[in-house]
Amino acid sequence: MKTLTLALGLALAATGLAAQADEPMNDLEIAHTAYTAGTLDIRYAHLALAVSENKAVRDFAQTMIRDHSAVNEAAGALIAELNVTPQDNPLSQALVEGAADKRAELMALTGNAFDCAYATNELGYHQVVNMTVAESFISAVTVEPLKALLEDALVTFRAHEQHAGHMVAGLQCAG
Amino acid sequence: MRGLTHPTRRRFGQGLGGALTLTVLPRAARSHEGTHEIAVRIARFTFDPDRIEIFVGDSVTWSNADLVPHTATAEDGVWDTGALDRGGAGRITFGTVGEHRYFCAFHLHMRGAVVVRAKADG
Repeated sequence: MKTLTLALGLALAATGLAAQADEPMNDLEIAHTAYTAGTLDIRYAHLALAVSENKAVRDFAQTMIRDHSAVNEAAGALIAELNVTPQDNPLSQALVEGAADKRAELMALTGNAFDCAYATNELGYHQVVNMTVAESFISAVTVEPLKALLEDALVTFRAHEQHAGHMVAGLQCAG
Repeated sequence: MRGLTHPTRRRFGQGLGGALTLTVLPRAARSHEGTHEIAVRIARFTFDPDRIEIFVGDSVTWSNADLVPHTATAEDGVWDTGALDRGGAGRITFGTVGEHRYFCAFHLHMRGAVVVRAKADG
């Protein structure tokens, strides 16, 4: 078990997520946060499918639901295999609170304004999550199967980040 | 599935690996008698190998080693493995000479090609 770096807190704060990860996180807390991050992105995606009529945005949202569900299913299987229970923690709680605020913001938008806000948030969200997983979580976990799962998941999340970047570019959002 | 004149699809469930004799060939499959099955592994969001050469009547089996579902889908829409979950596999038999470019319908940056040659070429 290792202490998460300050970079994690800074990265999350930079995207408006109130990071409270001053304390070291253990494997079960990391598992909880990783699972939570995937679940929250699925919820963003469902909102996008409810609001957006843009094909690129809808395709991306479908991919987020499909892929994050698969990753979380694998995580659930690993948790069952290890017979452990992920632990809620301040970082997971900060993610949930930040996502609630962002969803409220998105729900007030329609049309291109929504598409741009959703796409931009997806890009930023994946950038932060990927940096956190790559620079903090993988090195911090002590259980090898969880480390392997995070490494596999990071490949997926980086593809999402790339996809989100293309989506943002294609929407030609102002600012 | 052999000898069909059009690409055909058969999807396999998980745990198929031991039931088939798949031949992993180098990029260009040259030696040829009868029909063969060539394996393409999907891992880390890439098709490996991403370009293969086969002969008419041969089959290609895509096996997904990633956490998330992928497809192998023809650019011209003629064939499609459908969604391949983790550990899943799908097979296409090629009966038409030419370069068959394909992609993953879920992750559009994933691209590959199957070059099908007439047996007389070999």
